[in-house]
Amino acid sequence: MFGGLKEKLQAARNRLGISIQEVVAKQEPPALETRTAEPGMPQAQQKTLSSAAPTFADKVKVLIIDRELIVSEKDISDALSELEMTLLESDVALLVSDAIITHVRTNLVGKHRKIGESVDALVVGALKRALLDVLGKGFNLTEYIRIHNRPVKILFTGVNGTGKTTTVAKIGAYLKKQGYTVVIGAGDTYRAGAIEQIGVHAERIGIKIIQHQEGADPSAVLFDAVQYAVSHKIDVVLADTAGRFHTKSNLMNQLEKIRRIMKPDLIVYVDEAVAGNDAIVRAAEFDRTVGADVVVLTKADMDSRGGAAISIAHTIGKPLMFLGTGQGYDDIMPFDPVQVVEDLLGSDT
Amino acid sequence: MLDNLSTSLKDALKKLAGKTVIDRAAVDELVKDLQRALISSDVNVKLVMELSKAIRTRSLDEQLPKGTNVREHVLRIVYQELVRLVWASTDVKLEPQTILMAGLQGSGKTTTTAKLARYFQKKGMKVGVICADTFRPGAYDQISTLCAKISVPCFGNPREKDALKITREGLESQKDLELIIVDTQGRHALEEDLIQEIIELNVLTKATHRWLVIDAALGQQASEQARRFHEAIDIDGVIITKMDGTAKGGGALSAVAETKSGIVFIGSGETIEDLERFNPDGFISRLLGMGDLKALAERAEEAIKAEDVDVNAMMKGKFTLRDMYTQLEALNKMGPLKQIIGMLPMGNMQLPDGVYDVTSTKMVRYRIIMDSMTPGELDDPALISSSRMQRVARGAGATPDEVRELIKYFKMMQRTLKGLRGGGGKFNMQRLMKRFSGMQ
Repeated sequence: MFGGLKEKLQAARNRLGISIQEVVAKQEPPALETRTAEPGMPQAQQKTLSSAAPTFADKVKVLIIDRELIVSEKDISDALSELEMTLLESDVALLVSDAIITHVRTNLVGKHRKIGESVDALVVGALKRALLDVLGKGFNLTEYIRIHNRPVKILFTGVNGTGKTTTVAKIGAYLKKQGYTVVIGAGDTYRAGAIEQIGVHAERIGIKIIQHQEGADPSAVLFDAVQYAVSHKIDVVLADTAGRFHTKSNLMNQLEKIRRIMKPDLIVYVDEAVAGNDAIVRAAEFDRTVGADVVVLTKADMDSRGGAAISIAHTIGKPLMFLGTGQGYDDIMPFDPVQVVEDLLGSDT
Repeated sequence: MLDNLSTSLKDALKKLAGKTVIDRAAVDELVKDLQRALISSDVNVKLVMELSKAIRTRSLDEQLPKGTNVREHVLRIVYQELVRLVWASTDVKLEPQTILMAGLQGSGKTTTTAKLARYFQKKGMKVGVICADTFRPGAYDQISTLCAKISVPCFGNPREKDALKITREGLESQKDLELIIVDTQGRHALEEDLIQEIIELNVLTKATHRWLVIDAALGQQASEQARRFHEAIDIDGVIITKMDGTAKGGGALSAVAETKSGIVFIGSGETIEDLERFNPDGFISRLLGMGDLKALAERAEEAIKAEDVDVNAMMKGKFTLRDMYTQLEALNKMGPLKQIIGMLPMGNMQLPDGVYDVTSTKMVRYRIIMDSMTPGELDDPALISSSRMQRVARGAGATPDEVRELIKYFKMMQRTLKGLRGGGGKFNMQRLMKRFSGMQ
């Protein structure tokens, strides 16, 4: 998963490492001269200097007194622009990658680095902080269900063809395996064959499904699903909806009506991991109009990069819950940002 | 539709406007903005780099043609390079043929299959569809429902698991038809068994065309996926779907560059009629925020037969409620207003959001209300006083508020169109088109 991004980030990280190493190389000679002169200066004076524009004198002073180096913007600008390209090639949206680069820059520039500290660790640290900052925390669905009143109503939204129906089936199977009882509301009454599709899924995984005929009011279907769950003491209601574009105000209004009527506890926004820059536009629009509590990214198996995860998380600041990773019911995995970032950058710090 | 993208580009172009000597710094800035614009429309990063290099070199090296300013010169080069990027539009012939649909999961193959069937059916061909998607539940129901709506025969069997077998039987049972479209299951390049399956399907059907369906929102993956599909079955055309959202379709451009083919169609809506022939000039113009008049004209031609009055009413001098009435009727056939307006060359002009919000149901309401008005009122809406408003509302079974809303909408349209006409006096479609084509 996300192997491509990993590779590229590793490359960028090495590159960044090299350019900092160059700084070290440039500044090492004076360090050698002074090392013997002032062997054991206290470390307490660290980071007292202004980080804005270190003069040469400052650098030398820090070098001598604190035995540290100051990283300047110039030293890393090449490597950073390379990192930016890397992010862009990995489908991180332009605005988001701008933000990440800025973050990494402010994290590195003006930093005092101890001579003994590994260059690698510094760069990785900055990158990790940036990515973790963007990805936020994961979301534990089972934990959420455990502490909330039954039935827990979960509404799935998203644009056309992102995999809402398949995701509903997968999450249904996942919850069933955890021992919860589940009912599915076939709220996609628009697309031809959608009711049959979710019907077959529900039958295969052995979950009750509430459905009306094609063209029915989705709010009514989902209301019925909730009623069924209440009267049968079912733990979770999974509400599928028709895909819709955020630009169609009438369809967004319909979704708003669904939300009003079924009062979901959790709104899951589903998008695909292969989406490009548009991912941030539509995520923001869905979040603005009907809200989104958590995000599921599908089709992560065809994507070796994972930029969309970063873009969406950055734009709406909502946690990622699951990644869809294939066509089987088990092909779903909880999203763990720390794990993903560790995977991307290695777990050496 | 593509506003954000083109704004910065246009700012950059504006800087070149009055200049008669090529300014290196300004060109560099334009190239940089162009890069950002294309990357944020999901065009492959490497492709963008190549492209911008070519534009920069050509802009600086080529002689400024007589009578043009730097802006026009650079714009022309940008335009030419972008057109080269999307390659040529492939020919769609109206002759017996088999079309094999390929694409990633959820890219819109099945919907597009139905749209294509409708397209060729309207052109007078005998069309059949084979559902070779044996994996996704409901796939056969979906395509057969869509086909039934347009009375196109659809062959399939939801219980059969062998796509090759279905296709073989389907080809046999539909051998009298002129054009057969084979809808396949969604797959991606890493699923080797599925790639193998589509290779076999291609051999079996001896498909005349193998079209790759690409979601307009697909990002950098587009190149790689297209390349693999191309290796497998030699893609000879790309269809971009979901162009009615905010996605720019840059991924499709990468795919086209990768397969050395052309974009055949663009899908831009959920109904079966929402399919347009791709027009590279128009697409690029839209990308640059210049409007796409050709596609609009083509659409208008198809939708509005002669008796349905001219498209020019929109652009003509006096705009009355009566004009709006005929327009609403015509527009209904042409598709959502936003699509139409997106195709007009209004460039950066910001339209009030309300203009778009009129859904088709509302349009019907408006027409009913207008039916209750007298000819005099239709010609001069200023006549409608509050008592007349009461009468109209009662006649149409509407509330006075709705009538008021209609008049508000009318005024907004009127203002918008006034702005569109600009200061140039007789600013009609023909002139706009001429201007547009002169730009190439």
